[in-house]
Amino acid sequence: MSDESDHIPPEPPGRPPGPRSPAPMGFFILTLVLLFLAAVYFDHHSGWFNAQVYHPFVNANELEKYQPKSGEAALLARGMATYERVCGVCHGNDGAGKPGQAPPLAGSEWVLENGVNRLTHIPLTGLSGAVDVKGQTWNLSMPAMGAALSDADLAAVLTYIRGSWGNKAGPVTPAQVKAARAAVAGQPPINGLQALKALPE
Amino acid sequence: MNEIEKLDSEIDASCRVSLLALFVGAAFWLVVASVLGLIASLNFHMPEAFANCPWLTYGRVQPAADDALLYGFCIPAGLGVALWLLARSGRTPVRGALVPFVAAHLWHLGVLVGLIGILAGYSTGFRWLEFPRGASSPLFYAYLLLALWAMMTFGARRERATSPPQWFLVAALFWFPWIYSTANLLLVAWPVRGVTQAVVAWWFGDNLLFVWLALVGVGAAFYFLPKFCERPPQTFYLALFAFWTLVLFGSLCGIPQGAPVPAWLPVASSVAAALLLVPLLAVVIVAWRAVRGSVLSKWDHGPFCFVGAGVVCFFLSGLMWMALACPEICRVTEFTWFVPAQAQLQLYGFFALTMFGAIYHILPRSAGFELPFPKLARAQFWISLSGVALLVAPLAIGGVAQGRQLQNPGISFAVISNSTLPFLRVSTTGQLLLLLGNLIFVLNVFGLASAWKRSVLKKALALVKAPLETAEVQA
Ligand code: HEC
Repeated sequence: MSDESDHIPPEPPGRPPGPRSPAPMGFFILTLVLLFLAAVYFDHHSGWFNAQVYHPFVNANELEKYQPKSGEAALLARGMATYERVCGVCHGNDGAGKPGQAPPLAGSEWVLENGVNRLTHIPLTGLSGAVDVKGQTWNLSMPAMGAALSDADLAAVLTYIRGSWGNKAGPVTPAQVKAARAAVAGQPPINGLQALKALPE
Repeated sequence: MNEIEKLDSEIDASCRVSLLALFVGAAFWLVVASVLGLIASLNFHMPEAFANCPWLTYGRVQPAADDALLYGFCIPAGLGVALWLLARSGRTPVRGALVPFVAAHLWHLGVLVGLIGILAGYSTGFRWLEFPRGASSPLFYAYLLLALWAMMTFGARRERATSPPQWFLVAALFWFPWIYSTANLLLVAWPVRGVTQAVVAWWFGDNLLFVWLALVGVGAAFYFLPKFCERPPQTFYLALFAFWTLVLFGSLCGIPQGAPVPAWLPVASSVAAALLLVPLLAVVIVAWRAVRGSVLSKWDHGPFCFVGAGVVCFFLSGLMWMALACPEICRVTEFTWFVPAQAQLQLYGFFALTMFGAIYHILPRSAGFELPFPKLARAQFWISLSGVALLVAPLAIGGVAQGRQLQNPGISFAVISNSTLPFLRVSTTGQLLLLLGNLIFVLNVFGLASAWKRSVLKKALALVKAPLETAEVQA
């Protein structure tokens, strides 16, 4: 060792290990409380290691609601989505119609008719002039809102309005829509109650 | 000199060359890191200045600065402190000091290769793992050698009962090879697919930046604080508790809340981060009990300030880390300056300050020379501390302001970016202060090293001359 090191005091010698004073009790209680809260939070938000649950969803059941469905449920879901996008603005998402804008579809005799030929024609060509719906006369005009939809989509929409809001009538098939589309090609909107009634049921 | 002091100075001397190799290199990289960091932040004030030089563009300089600090300074400094501390607390000298000496050089060589690699554009692109492969293997083997020697010293300890600082440091010795090899294998050698890569990278960053640094820094603080205050450590069980909770909860954090991964990953991370409150408080209580009401000698005062401030910064940066993992807060602070503010507080405020204190205490004893500029070293404390404050506070505050503006879709992105500029200016001032502090540190370490080298040369000369003289005497 060189001389200079004399200036540096040696470290105080190794001391005996101190008394092993216990850790404060409050500390363990805090830890337990935090652990409990953490477990609750994890339970509510983690989706329990399900690899398909991503933020902002918190569990598999919640996801289920948004999953594509099959069979009749799938058809209704598709009809509902298309209806709310295309028709709901005027007829209302609840199908109750809007005063001065569009007549109701819920409970409407035109929607519930056994034959679906007239009903299928309405969105394909449009409808204007005075029509009676549930004992009330509407003299407005509806453009051919369904003409741009595919056969399957329009069939789903019509099936949906025939089966929702208390309506209980059978489905409309894409084949029926296809046939109607061929029949109305190039025709003007149906004008008035007489013209509507003149169509085969 | 009594028996104990003799053994102590024998131990100090046995670490001498290894420590000098580790610390001198660390000090050098520290300055490199500050200079690179400065260039990176200048890129914001004068975007045209380096635009034509691809080596100095922000995307390369910033990771190079971060890695120079982390791999160049933090890890070798931590390893040196660990080696000395395990030797001292186990009361065994380090045997075969040549191996850690060579390993230290291998490590610094690896850092050099890695930094050049990043600046030349060969970064791997993973945060904190940017070093290309040519650099990561020497780093890995150098670490293994150093850790092996430290472990052998620990295994040969004369004091069989272990103490808290030893657990922290031994755990750190194992931690790095494990996470570094795993991350390199899964990300660079045989990359896992898709979003799993991001998960591995986050896990690695957290385990290196939070867990490894905390293990070494807190371990050193638990050793030095009672030592400086000349009293036995009081809190064995609480320290044990801090150790296990830190390792357990700390290693699970790091996955950001907005991450596009299955929900349980970020949720587990934020739960673990909330539980970090336990080790954070435990560390503070242990440190507080160690220093409460003690009187310091003039020799210990400087290093004590550094280590004490380090513990405070550890607590604060830990709180910021927890805040970042809280979904409500993260929504605002994510993608803002708040994130680098936390990392800088962790790296500079907590770890670098703690290491400065430790090295200022260890190196003079081990090399056998006084610090060449002790007054400057004392001034460095205030310079570095205000540097940390000026670097971190504006970034953190600016980050929150930035995050709140980002929530408002009415404000355009350019306007928000511009509004952070005043904060960045202040933080550049902080960086300048840090650079000044680092220069003082380097001056002291280099001065000490060259004083030692000169004395070795003198001794060598004397040895060459000595036989002649004795021969003459005999004649
Ligand atoms: C622009 C608003 C508007 C949209 C969109 C609209 N309708 Fe109409 N709809 C009307 C109006 C107005 C009438 C009444 C026309 C009249 O008075 O001649 C009507 C009448 C009807 C009728 C017969 C009367 C009744 O209430 O039963 C049916 C059926 C019907 N619409 C179905 C549809 C379907 C299906 C769609 C979506 C493909 C649709 N509408 C989209 C405005 C709209």
